Amino acid sequence: MQGRIILAAMLLAGTALTVGCDKVQQAAGGSSSAPVTETAYPERVYWGDTHLHTANSVDAFGFGNRLGPEEALRFAQGEEVTSSTGVKAKLARPLDFLVITDHAEGMGSTMALYNAPRIMIRDPQVLRWYDMMHAGPDESVKAMGEILQARAKGTLPAQFRDPKASAERTHNVWNSYLDTVERYNKPGTFTAFMGFEYTLMQGGNNLHRNVIFRDGKDKVAQVDPIDPTNELTPDKLWDYMDAYKAKTGGQVLAIPHNSNVSNGMMFMMTDGAGKPMTAAWAKRRAAHEPVVEITQIKGDSEAHPFLSPNDEFAGFGTAGWDIGNLMLTKSKTTNMFASEYVREALKRGLLLEQQLGENPYKFGLIGSTDSHTSLATGDEDNFFGKHPGVEPAGRRAMLPQSLGKALGRVGWQYLAGGYAGVWAKANTRAAIWDALSRREVYATTGPRMVVRFFGGWDFKDGDLGGDWVKAGYTRGVPMGGSLNAGKTGAPSFIVSALKDPDGANLDRVQVVKGWVDKAGTLHEKIFDVVWSDMDKRKVLGGKVAPVGDTVDLATATYKNAIGAPTLATVWTDPEFDRSVRAFYYLRVLEIPTPSWPAYDAVRYKIKLGPDVRVKAQERAYSSPIWYTPTA
Amino acid sequence: MTWRNGAAVWLREPFVHFLVAGALVYAVLSGRPPDLGERKIVVGEAVVARLAERWSQTYRRAPNPEELDGLITDYVRDQAYYREALRLGLDKDDEVVMRRMRNKMIALATSEAEAATPSDAQLQALLDKDPARYAPEVRLSFAHVYLGDDTPAGREAAAATLARLRGGASPQGLGQPVPIPASFDSDPASDVAGMFGDGFVGALRSAPPGIWTGPVPSGLGLHLIKVTARTAPAKPQLADVRQALENDWRAQALRTAEQENYRRLLSGYDVVIEQPK
Repeated sequence: MQGRIILAAMLLAGTALTVGCDKVQQAAGGSSSAPVTETAYPERVYWGDTHLHTANSVDAFGFGNRLGPEEALRFAQGEEVTSSTGVKAKLARPLDFLVITDHAEGMGSTMALYNAPRIMIRDPQVLRWYDMMHAGPDESVKAMGEILQARAKGTLPAQFRDPKASAERTHNVWNSYLDTVERYNKPGTFTAFMGFEYTLMQGGNNLHRNVIFRDGKDKVAQVDPIDPTNELTPDKLWDYMDAYKAKTGGQVLAIPHNSNVSNGMMFMMTDGAGKPMTAAWAKRRAAHEPVVEITQIKGDSEAHPFLSPNDEFAGFGTAGWDIGNLMLTKSKTTNMFASEYVREALKRGLLLEQQLGENPYKFGLIGSTDSHTSLATGDEDNFFGKHPGVEPAGRRAMLPQSLGKALGRVGWQYLAGGYAGVWAKANTRAAIWDALSRREVYATTGPRMVVRFFGGWDFKDGDLGGDWVKAGYTRGVPMGGSLNAGKTGAPSFIVSALKDPDGANLDRVQVVKGWVDKAGTLHEKIFDVVWSDMDKRKVLGGKVAPVGDTVDLATATYKNAIGAPTLATVWTDPEFDRSVRAFYYLRVLEIPTPSWPAYDAVRYKIKLGPDVRVKAQERAYSSPIWYTPTA
Repeated sequence: MTWRNGAAVWLREPFVHFLVAGALVYAVLSGRPPDLGERKIVVGEAVVARLAERWSQTYRRAPNPEELDGLITDYVRDQAYYREALRLGLDKDDEVVMRRMRNKMIALATSEAEAATPSDAQLQALLDKDPARYAPEVRLSFAHVYLGDDTPAGREAAAATLARLRGGASPQGLGQPVPIPASFDSDPASDVAGMFGDGFVGALRSAPPGIWTGPVPSGLGLHLIKVTARTAPAKPQLADVRQALENDWRAQALRTAEQENYRRLLSGYDVVIEQPK
């Protein structure tokens, strides 16, 4: 009854800007108490999205998202949900876990502004945005773009920057969100994490991080999300994380994303402020940020052709993202790429470790969506768009889609999003978080292929005939692990990949090796280690013959007539130098399949331009295994 | 403080119904209905206090006299425009106004349901209505040998491997190495479906238990399987699925409250839909 009175009072009085209009809070029901046992070592991979926005995000609401955390959780668990634009949406397969990461800054504020009485809005600029938001979806998207631009330029009206009012609203929205997450967390079946996005920017340069807690509401509710608005480096976030751990005894980690639109700021050779990096800073970064989100809707950050000219598979999902920073307030120059792409960052990490004794960029890899629709869709044939303004319909692939700007990026340059594969010992917050923390995770661009990767000193071909997973854990280290100098010889690796049971065959598995020589020069090399039809597909000029292409664009289909369902091998580094630092990660390529614009073209009978990506070789990236020589 | 607009009194006639509607809306917005027919905008003490309070909420300080005057001037301006707009019927067929009113009505109608707590009997009723939705998943224990692509040659070779397994050979090393377990212990059917594809679960549920059989196709290729245990479908117990029931009950209560409310509203109207000929 009290809820009714409060709500009625809010309605009658009008909703002031400071009042979150989120639903009346419910008592947390708590989670199922049935104990979940962890296996001795990870036996299966769990699939999830660590990066999803709901109507609580300042931009998502402005873009028309009216679905809250509850709908997002239901959708991730496989239930049908009606999208903000009224389309029925459902995942072909449920996810095993979800982290809703709404923007900390201004959490719930767009919703509050939208619901505010117009009379309370004094600032003519804010009033203009308010009216645009109420004028319909197109105007609302435009208004949101302008707000984000103003934020990037630091010209937001005072009303948006009032820290106290904002903190109070954030607190209310946050606690309501925590209640909902708690109600949907089902240990052993579906894990709902608590988290938020720390949307750190320097101008329009993207330095965003997702913050993920290992704990439940009893601990997490002791803190509110931290607002990055006046920050330029991640140091304050790390202070916040340390304070959380000290205060609650809990655990928390951060995952940077979209280094590809940081304009050279994400993986610098200096510290965040541009000063020479110290060992302490490097160590601190690695400790707080054990994982990087390498692929998502806003492009893929593995490798750019400028940095990796000999890699014919580099440049997946870089078109449009390599022209400027996130907000397109500054163009990109080629000298920025080296501190934007993950492969180069991993190499830089080796060099910094050689210089400082600490590797700031020793991170694992995951993919996620960054969807702003509350719908964690990662499949090409079920893409619900970056935000509700571009949910499935008509010519979205062909339309300009830049934040607040008419020119720049185009719809098709957005990817369908990725997922995170996690080798955990159970489907619980603790087990999945721990796997992230020890980097035993991998990224995919959407398909759910299963990838195993172990490094050791005595793996032999014959190992694959026995219980090789157990051997991998007992005689070696899994992805994300570290090899120290071995007894003798070169490191060997167990490599195994299996197709998505609902998807395409595999083309090949590659080992990407990076190393730094004694002079401090960085190197990389890609080894094709196992591929389909090895007897027929010969190596010419150091390259394996292409797998072929069965995509039929007229129907947006492909056939598993080429490629292989599974690929496995034991590989030994033929060029191993025991005196230099190195890393190895896997890149698993599927055969070509239609990309989401191709499905749109068939469904909506539209003509796509010649530049549009209509097919691609979707892929997985394992976390690396590092080799460190003894000093 | 009172401002008089000094306009002539010319209400009556065709705009009266808009005035009535306006008065109602005004009542909702301000908590105080204006006197019907009165062409007078009264900014009473309560209104001023409320304006000041909202300002304080937003800006964390009381408005200074100048700002308060600004608020009041704006309030009057809003009132004048608002009332004249209603008189002119500008709210009519305005989609934004309609959607806003509709949302407020829905919020009022559903607020009680949001705060309500279901009783055990209500949860049990929900459970009894759709037991399948809450039923514990069928759990499967089985071993499999993965044979690779589903080809005619593969199926032929499968027969020989099956014979060896039935003859007591160890499954280890008989199939192709894959990065999924060779045996599963009490795994929920949905997890198995996620790893192998939907069709495979059907085969596991109908296979004769205790012996190697196949080949069985999956989303990955061909398998030989041996089912060692299968739980029978069971009745869900309230205590085990309370949270899921509460989540659904709440979502459903909101929907029902909204629908009920709408049904009641609609019953006061005759809806005539003229289909185009």
